Amino acid sequence: MAEQSAAGLIGARVRRQEDPRLLTGRAQFVDDVRLPGMLNAAVLRSPVPHARIVRIDVSRALAHPGVYAVVTGDEVRAAVATPQPVIWRMIPDQRMTDGYPLAVGKARYVGQGIAAVAATDRATAEDALELIDVEYDELPAVTTLEEALAEDAPKLYDEWPDNVSCRATIPKGDVEAAFAEADVVVRETFRFARQMGTPLETRGVVATWDPFTDRLDVWLSTQSPNLARDLFGEVLDVSVDKIRVRVPDVGGGFGNKFDFYGEEVVAAILSKRTGRPVKLIEDRLESFVANAHSREQKVEVELAATSDGRITGLRGTVYAVLGGQLATVGIGPCWLTAALMSGPYDIANVEASVVGVVTNRSPYGSYRGWGQPKSNFAHERMVDLLARRLDMDPLDVRRKNLIPADAFPYASPVFFYDGGRYDECLGLATDAVRDRGWLRRRDEARGSGRTVGIGYSFHVEITALGPSRIMNMAGLQHSAFDEEVVRIDSSGRVTVYTGQTALGQGIQTALAQVAAEQLGVPLDDVTVVVGDTDTCPYTGYGTGASRAASLGGGAVLTASKRLKEKVLRIAGGMLEAAPEDLVVADGRISVVGVPDRSVSMAEIGDAAYRRINGRLPEDEVPTLEEREVFDPPNVAFSYGCTAVLADVDRETGEVRLLDYLIAHDCGTVINPLIVDGQLHGGAAQAIGGALYEELVYGPDGQIQTTTFMDYLMPTASEIPAFELLHMETPAEHIPGGFKGMGEGGTIGGAAAIAGAVDDALADLGVATVALPITPPRLLAAMRNGQVQA
Amino acid sequence: MSDHVNGAAEGTVANKVPVTITVNGRTHRADCEPRTTLADFLREDLGYTGVHLGCEHGVCGACTVQLDGSTARSCCMLAVQADGSEVTTVEGLAEDGQLHPLQEAFWNRHGLQCGFCTPGMLMTACELLADNPDPSAEEIREGISGNLCRCTGYQFIVESIQEAAPKMRPAT
Repeated sequence: MAEQSAAGLIGARVRRQEDPRLLTGRAQFVDDVRLPGMLNAAVLRSPVPHARIVRIDVSRALAHPGVYAVVTGDEVRAAVATPQPVIWRMIPDQRMTDGYPLAVGKARYVGQGIAAVAATDRATAEDALELIDVEYDELPAVTTLEEALAEDAPKLYDEWPDNVSCRATIPKGDVEAAFAEADVVVRETFRFARQMGTPLETRGVVATWDPFTDRLDVWLSTQSPNLARDLFGEVLDVSVDKIRVRVPDVGGGFGNKFDFYGEEVVAAILSKRTGRPVKLIEDRLESFVANAHSREQKVEVELAATSDGRITGLRGTVYAVLGGQLATVGIGPCWLTAALMSGPYDIANVEASVVGVVTNRSPYGSYRGWGQPKSNFAHERMVDLLARRLDMDPLDVRRKNLIPADAFPYASPVFFYDGGRYDECLGLATDAVRDRGWLRRRDEARGSGRTVGIGYSFHVEITALGPSRIMNMAGLQHSAFDEEVVRIDSSGRVTVYTGQTALGQGIQTALAQVAAEQLGVPLDDVTVVVGDTDTCPYTGYGTGASRAASLGGGAVLTASKRLKEKVLRIAGGMLEAAPEDLVVADGRISVVGVPDRSVSMAEIGDAAYRRINGRLPEDEVPTLEEREVFDPPNVAFSYGCTAVLADVDRETGEVRLLDYLIAHDCGTVINPLIVDGQLHGGAAQAIGGALYEELVYGPDGQIQTTTFMDYLMPTASEIPAFELLHMETPAEHIPGGFKGMGEGGTIGGAAAIAGAVDDALADLGVATVALPITPPRLLAAMRNGQVQA
Repeated sequence: MSDHVNGAAEGTVANKVPVTITVNGRTHRADCEPRTTLADFLREDLGYTGVHLGCEHGVCGACTVQLDGSTARSCCMLAVQADGSEVTTVEGLAEDGQLHPLQEAFWNRHGLQCGFCTPGMLMTACELLADNPDPSAEEIREGISGNLCRCTGYQFIVESIQEAAPKMRPAT
């Protein structure tokens, strides 16, 4: 497997370049970064959900041996130029929360930062936190959506009329008429618990802000280093040239490391104040309150349909249970739930609204899927419920309503879907279910007294986020293009410099495969450099929204093509042949049909950088480097169908997954091994979200799940073996045809699991409308027919 | 969120105690505070940063090392408790520049993504295969169920361990 021939590298199942360092303990994660004179910081967090901060006395902490600095919210407020930025502002009249890195005046959720200490080591910093005296004037807390919306609810923001941050409606067609003329109308309300991405490595930062040069040098475990650099600049009022963000190995992101957190600003301020590097690593306990939470929504949906199962209208309202202040992505994920409420279906009349409501809970930010798991659950459950109402096979309802292959590009309420063969993909999954005998297994299990069911879901996944101008018009206060640099050096080896970030998703190997195939060099001759804003190019947005392989791959492909043209021109001169008569293979350029008339890539490199005279054509500039900026003309929609065979224990309410398959299309596949791994991991997160994971708040506003003993991430024992089936429909508007696929596994899983549970319990008429489907919820549903929150 | 409870909070300097530990065949002697965990001691004092901390309460398994021949959660014990012990960390698996068969198999089978859980997963898999040289997929899932992985969905980890198993069985 070591030497891969370049031809056919796109699509090759090669093992990853990233792995040897990670396997041998030689990786460098942010907590492994140690700088001379470095201090360690810790954050004092609010123990109460809602309170006025009357007084903070840090004098005892400051006097503690080993403590270098203590900062409070007011001091941080005075040191910054702006509140924490919110980059998704798609609702123009939204009330913004204008939060600061540490609480100013009021604490609005348990775990909100109140003050921070820098000391010789973390233990000493934590010791000092205990010496900070804070007087809180406690206020009544708003702990649920219903409490927040109640007529006389306590207000989080005194200057607002209520706790509603925003309302917006996304219309398409004539929904009123569709419902007036419908044969049947199906209504349901869905509830989604709070969950979070929960990367195994918590967040962390090491900041060095030199008080003499004003240079800010940051190591940050982030998915979006260019965004972070720009936002550091805005918030700290430092010109961007003075800011360097380096990203070490990242122990998982899943959206949690996309946002720009207050702790990052606090670490910088503590560094400037002490004149030393400051490390701030969140521990697991903190991560459960200081990391962005996600998923929590109430979604009301109604479908209008004809009596033969044709959906004519969809109306829905997404209630976003936001936290005590807006995170970097603001209303973004919840807006996307509304924007994609019609999913893969051709529905002429759609009206989806979003209502953003603040509560005394942690902020709502990014988590893999970004709003789409909820829209998917809503439309897939509604299709199942419509089928039940009409006594139809839910697969027939899907077939009847999926966007047909000849209808692309398809105008959904917000986005243009670029293309696909949805019906074929559904068929791929249903054929596999048939061929693997699931129906027989279900019926046999039922015959022997077990409760087994089959569920399906069909998902679309927005990927390749761009183009910048349209995203700006939609309200994004940032760009969404990608820039890649491909360089051949004097030894003929290739280096790709990317602004995308390596989070474990294998982006280095994937980009290396694209460059190697285009340039005709062995895969091992390509190195991909990531994670440094001083040396790597700018990517808009960041590594999220399933952008990296699609946009990065497309840009590397175009840059490599142009670079190859220059290689051929130089080789043509050296071989006295026309460039079009040359071929490149395994790092050698030869004349077609005359293989011994050839030069190596190393000789070309030497001619372009070192011994130039007489070898580099007179009209060529030295060096071998191409730079490509790719701002895609449109997003690209991947899609897939998940099928689940599940066993429900009627005694305990436990759901066990027996089999799980995903039929999937993400355009041209660069590396099937990586794609499979992404789908597996995404599906495991979908399973966690469907059955186990829940951030629970008590009626007092206290979070009750702050360890892995309470927040149940699935282990290998809960996760079934997965089977994956692939289709490839290249994206016509992306060079190489690559679509993204980082979130696909996560989006469709819960609806398929819920469908399987309902199918298993069909005799009881159970309708699963809330996640996660925990044993107590399912037992209650068996009693009253509905899995509710 | 203060995990540490110690007299040092009142301004006293904790007395350091000497600890001797053999790690990957090399004997280290260092002074540490009694409250220092074995994980922090290995990472901060001795530089074995392949030991990862994912939860610091003994659930995720990322900090798993071998201690006198059995796996142990290095976040849940104190360095002073390991005084006189022999420890193997992930850095000790590969020998003479050759990957261990489990490392090779994890590489071949895409048994890792971000790599944060991987050191603990490898140490657990080592013990699993020593105890059961020919495990079924189900036995592997059970055996690694004390190690959380958030990236892979476990399937390729299971396949990696299956691939390594015959290479680690003693020749008969």
